[in-house]
Amino acid sequence: MTAAERNKLMSVTVYIPTPFRKLAGNQTHVKVDGDTVGEVLDSLGEKYPGLRHMVYNEADEIPGHVNVYVNNTEIHTLQGKATPVKNGDEMAVIPAIAGGRGEALTPEQVERYSRHIIMTQVGPAGQRKLMESKVLVIGAGGLGGPAALYLALAGIGTIGIVDFDVVDLSNLQRQVLHQNDDVGRLKTASAKTTLNNYNPDVNVVIHDTPIHSENANEIISQYDIIVNGADNFTTRYLVNDAAYLAGKTLVDGSILLFDGQATVYVPGSGCYRCLFPAPPPPGAVPNCAEAGVLGALTGIIGSIQATEVIKQILEIGDPLSGRLLLLDALAMEFRVVKLRQDPSCPLCGDNPTITELIDYEVFCGAPFPGQDEEEGAAVAGAGVEHGS
Amino acid sequence: MKLEQKFMDEMIAHAKEDAPIECCGIIAGEDGRAVKLFRARNSEASPYRYSVDSDDLFRIYREAEDNEWSFLAIYHSHTASEAYPSPTDIRLAFWPESYYVLVSLEDAENPVVRAFRILDGEVNEEEIEAG
Repeated sequence: MTAAERNKLMSVTVYIPTPFRKLAGNQTHVKVDGDTVGEVLDSLGEKYPGLRHMVYNEADEIPGHVNVYVNNTEIHTLQGKATPVKNGDEMAVIPAIAGGRGEALTPEQVERYSRHIIMTQVGPAGQRKLMESKVLVIGAGGLGGPAALYLALAGIGTIGIVDFDVVDLSNLQRQVLHQNDDVGRLKTASAKTTLNNYNPDVNVVIHDTPIHSENANEIISQYDIIVNGADNFTTRYLVNDAAYLAGKTLVDGSILLFDGQATVYVPGSGCYRCLFPAPPPPGAVPNCAEAGVLGALTGIIGSIQATEVIKQILEIGDPLSGRLLLLDALAMEFRVVKLRQDPSCPLCGDNPTITELIDYEVFCGAPFPGQDEEEGAAVAGAGVEHGS
Repeated sequence: MKLEQKFMDEMIAHAKEDAPIECCGIIAGEDGRAVKLFRARNSEASPYRYSVDSDDLFRIYREAEDNEWSFLAIYHSHTASEAYPSPTDIRLAFWPESYYVLVSLEDAENPVVRAFRILDGEVNEEEIEAG
């Protein structure tokens, strides 16, 4: 470069922080020429070859862990390497200060999750989100089973399972987490074995206890999203209230006979109490053990719940919130009814009276059951019309 | 590494305020003595990753330069794991002259603060003399 050419170029001061200073002759700042950020960095690299390896990667791009500033602004918000600079501008090249547990996906993970990763709505970043998520599944039964199964296959990092019951032969008509040899075994243990057989990367956390007012907050606080597969009104009201009070999204589902329902309660957009302000009189609505349920229906509703969880985590699509999905499997008809938040709701309304967990056994007139099955008993025809 | 108790307390307070996301910040020093703690925004806003916001980094860097302070320590929190650098922390440790300080809230009642030097992927713990 001749002196005349040099004079036409702009002289820029580049500030060099301590990690790079040794590579730049121990200077705190150097003056180099260039019309753009890229040209300035090229000049810098010519002058200090050691520094070149720091500001450019093998593809000749500025690596993600190096911040380059023109005057006060990081160049990602400008035009990157093409950002023009003028005489007297100040630049700085500062290595990022970053870290974390979020390792890049391993080749095995890329292969395992490839059908998700190739979708633009998921991608590697979305897959990492799934792997960093913690989802609590209430009940390892009819609904919790397929929900937990698909969440595990999707690579959800931590799946908590609340159940205290043991596997009964009558569960095997629909509960996919348990097999013949599991009869008599704790459902949580059986669920963990099954989920880890499908995907050993999933951290399955067992809560081998009935959920009640004393432990609900502690359990729910450990998770990002709650999936409800409870089979009784007492637990349903408890989980609804606890999730709302903890500010967590509750993905709800219920089934009975040939009917299914699903919805998502995002705090502030309505809750189970907005839909069903009071439980039915004890015994008025039968549960699955009393009335029966089509086993295959658990797979439909549970899979819908898993789908909604994944959408929530990836922040994609329209959540099934403010809407109640109704399935009549005999007619094979899906309907969606609007679900409004009730301003007079005692939990999430304008003047809430429920500000902490209450005595749900008194409220529902029924004890927390031994929680044998996890299918919902909440498909009440009259109730469905409420709020629709 | 010598560090006054007020800086220890401030890091723990920051970690607790930002939990469950990881907090991060920089302690500027002069002749190996801490002079000012800068909280920074974690632009990742994640419970598993941190990255000092690039605007914050520049602002802190300039203030330190103007005062001829060094980055004595770079701190971040692990809200659910031990106070030890993760593989990513080690891979992204580009400031070998700074102490990497980790605040663990794994035991919420008893936060743990530990300091390390990280050079070329090698981690060496440095005892903190609080006082």
